[in-house]
Amino acid sequence: MSKKNDLLAKENAVQAILVAPTFEDEFLPISNDIPLCLFPVVNKPLIDYTLEFLSLGGVEETFLFCCNHVAEIKDHIKKSVEETVGWTLTMKVHIIVSESCRSFGDCLRDLDAKGLLRGDFVLLEPGVISNISLSSLLKKHSDICQMDKGAAMTVIFQECGLNHRSLCPQDETLVIMNSKNRLLFHKKTKKTSDKKVDFPLEIFLENNSVSIYHNLKDTHIAICSSSVLPLFSDNFDFQTKDDFVRGLLMNEEIMGSTVYGNILRGSNYGGAIHNWRTYQSISMELKNKWVHPLVPPTKKNRSIYEDSAIGTSTKVALTANICRSILGCNVVIGNNVKIQDAFIFDNTHIEDNAVVSLSVIGPNCIVKNGAKVTAGSILGKGVVIEENCLVEDSLVQQTKSDNSEDKIGPSAYRLRLEEDEEDIDLDKSLARRMSRLHIHEATYESEYESEDEFSESEDALSHIHSPPPDDTKLFFTEVIDSLTRGFEDKLLCDNLILEINSSRYAYNVTVKEVNFNVIKAILIMSGDLPEGPQYFSSFAQMLSYFAPLFNNYIKNLSAMTDCLQAVEEVAISGDFKDKWAVFTLKYLYEKDYLSEEAILDWFGTIKTDTKFYKQVKPFTDWLEEAEEEDSDDE
Amino acid sequence: MPVPVEFQAVVLAAGKGSRMLEITSGHPKCLLPVGPKPLIWYTLRKLQITGFNEAILIVLETQKAEIQSAIERELEGNSLDIKVDYVSIAEDQEDLGTADSLRLVQERLKSDVLVVSCDLVSDVNLGGVLNLFRKHNASIASLMFYHQASEPIVVPGPKSKHKPEKDLIGIDEQTQRLVFMASVSDFESQVTLPLSLLKKHTLVKMYSTLIDSHVYVLKNWVIQYLKSERSITSLKGELIPYIVKKQLSKPQKIDEVNQSIINTKDSNDIFSFAEEDELELAIREISSFNDHNGDLKSSYNNDPIRCYAYIAPKGSIGLRVNTLPAYWSINGKIQEVWNKVSINMSLIQKSPQANIQSNQVDDKCIISDGAKLNEKTSFKNANIGTNTTVNSFSRVFNSIVMNNVMIHEKVALENCIVCDNAVIEKGSSLKNCIVGNNHLVQAESECTNELLTEDLMHF
Repeated sequence: MSKKNDLLAKENAVQAILVAPTFEDEFLPISNDIPLCLFPVVNKPLIDYTLEFLSLGGVEETFLFCCNHVAEIKDHIKKSVEETVGWTLTMKVHIIVSESCRSFGDCLRDLDAKGLLRGDFVLLEPGVISNISLSSLLKKHSDICQMDKGAAMTVIFQECGLNHRSLCPQDETLVIMNSKNRLLFHKKTKKTSDKKVDFPLEIFLENNSVSIYHNLKDTHIAICSSSVLPLFSDNFDFQTKDDFVRGLLMNEEIMGSTVYGNILRGSNYGGAIHNWRTYQSISMELKNKWVHPLVPPTKKNRSIYEDSAIGTSTKVALTANICRSILGCNVVIGNNVKIQDAFIFDNTHIEDNAVVSLSVIGPNCIVKNGAKVTAGSILGKGVVIEENCLVEDSLVQQTKSDNSEDKIGPSAYRLRLEEDEEDIDLDKSLARRMSRLHIHEATYESEYESEDEFSESEDALSHIHSPPPDDTKLFFTEVIDSLTRGFEDKLLCDNLILEINSSRYAYNVTVKEVNFNVIKAILIMSGDLPEGPQYFSSFAQMLSYFAPLFNNYIKNLSAMTDCLQAVEEVAISGDFKDKWAVFTLKYLYEKDYLSEEAILDWFGTIKTDTKFYKQVKPFTDWLEEAEEEDSDDE
Repeated sequence: MPVPVEFQAVVLAAGKGSRMLEITSGHPKCLLPVGPKPLIWYTLRKLQITGFNEAILIVLETQKAEIQSAIERELEGNSLDIKVDYVSIAEDQEDLGTADSLRLVQERLKSDVLVVSCDLVSDVNLGGVLNLFRKHNASIASLMFYHQASEPIVVPGPKSKHKPEKDLIGIDEQTQRLVFMASVSDFESQVTLPLSLLKKHTLVKMYSTLIDSHVYVLKNWVIQYLKSERSITSLKGELIPYIVKKQLSKPQKIDEVNQSIINTKDSNDIFSFAEEDELELAIREISSFNDHNGDLKSSYNNDPIRCYAYIAPKGSIGLRVNTLPAYWSINGKIQEVWNKVSINMSLIQKSPQANIQSNQVDDKCIISDGAKLNEKTSFKNANIGTNTTVNSFSRVFNSIVMNNVMIHEKVALENCIVCDNAVIEKGSSLKNCIVGNNHLVQAESECTNELLTEDLMHF
């Protein structure tokens, strides 16, 4: 361990903080047994890459913050030191343990209390792998601090095309920087489903020009001034680095601190593993040596294609088909096994004829003969999938636990992630979907395409294109809107009347038009009711709900005529059943909204050769008969 | 058969100068003197140097004769060599916008069009913006200037706070596409951009101080579209922002089943105008050229509408003379920049046709034809227009005196603009004043920071 390290602590050594745990349940169930920093990434623990990167980058002292699986991590570091792995020559690692921390922010607050940091330092979020030279970035940061005393942080971004596989959609960042690289706006666009982004106008007015970047990937590396830790301590709501950046940007004046950005280009690589998707992309990039000089251990095997990698002592049957996958050590692959886009951890056995695709199989698992594990499944440690069993899109663990759902086999329980009741909203599910393994290039593309097209319809900006709409029409659409909403939310009809009257004045429509359009709107809404035997009863219910409206608008004979005209128009233009018109008229008549006289007068004006006439005829006949009977009675 | 020209130039000179009515009421804006030449000369000279042999000049009917004679004078004097085709706007239509003006000449426009306003003074070669247009076969290309910092100057007339109009202009860094254009005054506190725009153009530089030079190169279909879309009245305010916005949309997919040719032609859908040549599309498909990287989309994202912005190199001179401060500042420095903006014309400071009897005329003065400067007068940094007379014992410092002005004895002018046909009677002393057209300044007047004019109703 560090204490045994012979290196003398230098006064002004370059320091870094590495927070090891993610505090998320992204990697369940595997993370139950292996901490993220010991995850094998192309057959080498993740933390080895990170520490190597730090020491190559010029860091001399690293504080490794652990909250769980502390013993394993300590052992691993100890082993590295004993084996004098490369980084141990130039860098000291202090392990700091605090099991009470619940977030990234908590860890930093804890560190602040300990007062171990002296000056500018490098801050790494969990899972970082990179090959950049940190000392030059530290130099740049201190230059910025010379110019701007409030500079608290330089966030490191990497240039990255929007659809690039290494850019996890969750990491899509929209950033505005001014000509001095000061960050003015920061937003993760995929965290919400908005189709538009609002920018404060001052951002643009206060600068001659600003750059809006949407081609950046957050490397999860930041260079910090010494003011960062106290700022975390002062603001208990800062949980993550993004909270910090956002908080500082929002309250720039109050806190007096600024954030800068630095964009990596060319062969500089940076990224962090924080979900399966990034695990996949970074593994692939490591394997393809994009992160040179950080390279994974390689073992040549002629039966394996270039796009896959295997660990030591792994046995692969000749008839197995392995494609874009990474196998750990001591893995046994049987005959005719198909493995695509999958990760298989150490000591796992995949038996004959099994299929594994787009999945992660944890250590010590057995996938038995003919079983299929596909579509984003994650198998925890020691899971046994029975013969010919199909596992699709599930998290599976070995033992039963409180939140495990159903049993697939004696050593396989499907795990259901508990979701907070309140936020089973779109954002969360979107985030889940995005964090999965890269399902397919094509589907991802098409998702983008469809979004583009959606944005067209919202091109309401083309105000000069459409002809000035008719006031009465506008009034009608407003009425429809009010009524639909009112009916859905069961608002008081009196309030609806108020709304309608105010729109009436806004659009300056006549009383006649008001009567006509209100009735028309109500009747048109009947078209949205579900078809079927229940139709007329639900129609009657709707009409009775709007009774106050009828009472309010149909007050005299002329209003009745308007109402009847509305019925006529809706019946002719709408696609209703034959009985619709009669039903409506009868209903209105029975409720005394319409008088006999009005109906008969109006009926006289209808052309006799129309379909509508034929529809209504029986009703008026009945009316006339009833009238005669009435007079007969007298 | 004559080969059609590649570009036709249209100069818009029918504006009334509504932002500086103090000096333009009753006087064509395009004839305001800037140094030794009227404003319009600078635009025409620019076009001539760019290689245009002809230009269509749109003027108001009421001002046509005046403008025509002024230009003819320049043509005769060999300082211009360009055929000017006058199109006038009848008196009853005087309130037409810039797009309306263009619509008037739509029938003559057979090629792509370069639209210039008459108020540009610049040293930028228009080749830059034309080449950008050619290179990308653009729909619209426009010329922009960086903000040019100027020292504070004392502008004649009543003190007023000059607030420049600002535009927000978004340009894709990678492709020079103009992706956003709007006036700052359109926004209150927030600017909303569609995410699809930012996805398509992943690095947009948003400028708030760029100056739109009102030099637009328009594809011919834009003119055709303008013809059909009568509601658009101005270029900068409506047409350009609209087309810039439309880049983001895709043409509506025509329903194969009930496709009707008449329908698509009749509809005012902008994409039915913007359709590209099939051969060109085929070439683009085969070509390995791509205008951008970062995604796997084909070049130009298959957009039929493409707008571009050419930003003049830093340090270039570019000024729209459409406000009083702009007018005053360009006059202040015209001699400094003369060589650049006139492109190697010699600056004639003292016209041979002027009658100069004064011996106190410093070398910063510009004296035009027929000016009569009597003995015992003094001039420093003064611009004296044609047929203006200055009588003895008067002095004119740091001022612009336009044409046919009569300045009597013992008049002192400092930092003033005196418009056409004004008369300043003897003994007057004016400082930081504007004297309007035909105005008579009474004898022994003493004024500072005032606007002396007849028709105040405009203000």
